[in-house]
Amino acid sequence: MRDRGKRDLWICWWVFPVFYTLFGVIFVPLTRVMPPPRPDVTADQITAFFDAHSLTIKIGFGLLMVVIGGGSIANGLVAHQMKRMSISPVFAYGYIATLAVGGIPGCLFAGLAFLTATFRPDRDPQLIALLYDIALLSFIGSLGCFATQYLIFALAIFLDRNRILPNWMAYVSIWQVVTELMAAPVFIFRTGPFAWNGAISFYEGTAIFGVYIACLIALLRKAIERQPADERVPD
Amino acid sequence: MRSIARARVTQVWIFLSSITVGSWMLGATHEGSGIAPNAAVTAGILALAAIKVRCIIHYFMEVRTAPEWLRVFTDYWLQVLMSAILLIYLY
Amino acid sequence: MTHEPKLEPRRRAAVKSGTPPPGCYLSGDTGMWVFVLGDLVIFGVYFIVFMVLRAGDPRSFLSSQRHLDLTMGALNTLVLLTSSWLVALAVQSVRTGEIRRATGLVYGAGGCGLLFLLIKAEEWHTMIGHGFTLTHNDFFMFYYMLTGAHLLHVLIGILVLALFRGEIRDPRLRRMSVVEATATYWHMVDLLWVVIFALLYVMR
Repeated sequence: MRDRGKRDLWICWWVFPVFYTLFGVIFVPLTRVMPPPRPDVTADQITAFFDAHSLTIKIGFGLLMVVIGGGSIANGLVAHQMKRMSISPVFAYGYIATLAVGGIPGCLFAGLAFLTATFRPDRDPQLIALLYDIALLSFIGSLGCFATQYLIFALAIFLDRNRILPNWMAYVSIWQVVTELMAAPVFIFRTGPFAWNGAISFYEGTAIFGVYIACLIALLRKAIERQPADERVPD
Repeated sequence: MRSIARARVTQVWIFLSSITVGSWMLGATHEGSGIAPNAAVTAGILALAAIKVRCIIHYFMEVRTAPEWLRVFTDYWLQVLMSAILLIYLY
Repeated sequence: MTHEPKLEPRRRAAVKSGTPPPGCYLSGDTGMWVFVLGDLVIFGVYFIVFMVLRAGDPRSFLSSQRHLDLTMGALNTLVLLTSSWLVALAVQSVRTGEIRRATGLVYGAGGCGLLFLLIKAEEWHTMIGHGFTLTHNDFFMFYYMLTGAHLLHVLIGILVLALFRGEIRDPRLRRMSVVEATATYWHMVDLLWVVIFALLYVMR
């Protein structure tokens, strides 16, 4: 039952599925960052990749630059629910901080590097290859911030006595920590399951991330439905 | 002390330890300069591992007395994993 | 970690004997089982990817495997099996109210965990000393990643055993769901190592 009094929360909740759908459309068919193109290619092959996808990259990442704020709103909504938990607000602050830091390498860098690469197509192929590497290494390899975020989230749920979110979600968050850490070797390997396009470092991690996001969106909806419209959440 | 010796989990532990020593010996006798792939030994190793895992799940994790969904899931997981491993190995 | 009220009478029955009552008794809580089953699937994928990679170059994998110390691997397996046994006994002891015995048992299990870490550290030290590093070849890449991921689980497991200990120390707590859930996690750690041992050290 949707209260008029919780309209602000519902607006924020809707940002979640809308943003992540856009994210999917941008990163998969438009910019081809998911699944990532291979690390074991030459500078000329990389230049050819950018030439082939130049238009959709510009559309996709240009759009990302405009809508990226949606991610912050989504994170704010989660942090708000964490403030309703019986634990210290430090957890909510930590959650926001790790994602604010992580969002730059984990999302924006790839966009900026790819846009720079397609901006002047006649640049030296070695420089274009550099931009390619920076984009994909930061996108897949910036796992530390996110592993921390998932850990904070899990701890918050475990310690929360108000039962805002169910316990099992904390465990889903812990799976995320495990799969994020298994992406650490992307800085070493250019082929195989632990490369940035690897079966383990990319595909398995992304699959678990899909499960996590789906659960999070559904649970936030339930949490907002149960939330009293006149509840005083501490600042 | 006697209650520990008589406990089912103790019997399971002795059983598991023996199997471990067994597969240790099975693996060790094939060491040395000429190591060759051996499907029979591998199948044996995998079977022993499967038995050990199932014992841990059923007796230590107490899935034997757990609701059916849990017994079914863990059994399926083990079957699928071991079959996949064996199939990939043989293929 | 929550109680499930409709299991309460069965829990009380379990308290009288040391073992779970026959029938449907969910040891621990659903949350921990969600985690364990998910982790089993995640590791299952790792094992299958390992096998696929191995199928691409079985000779190299076999000859690399020879450099592993089978004795240390087997020893570690026995250490973890023993720790699991001690944890299982500890759970039963908590059920029968023998808290002092349970405490000793869980400390023993923790000690086994530390022993595992020491043996593993020694093993890695030897391997690296011989030049078998993460980038040496595909086999060793998997060796370090698999045993590394497992090592992380052991480290967390020792903290989880500390939670077990903390739970039984306080007479106002001693919730069986917490005791059983922490034990379940530890058994998972043992179980995963059994598979890793078979795949990395022994199979031909």
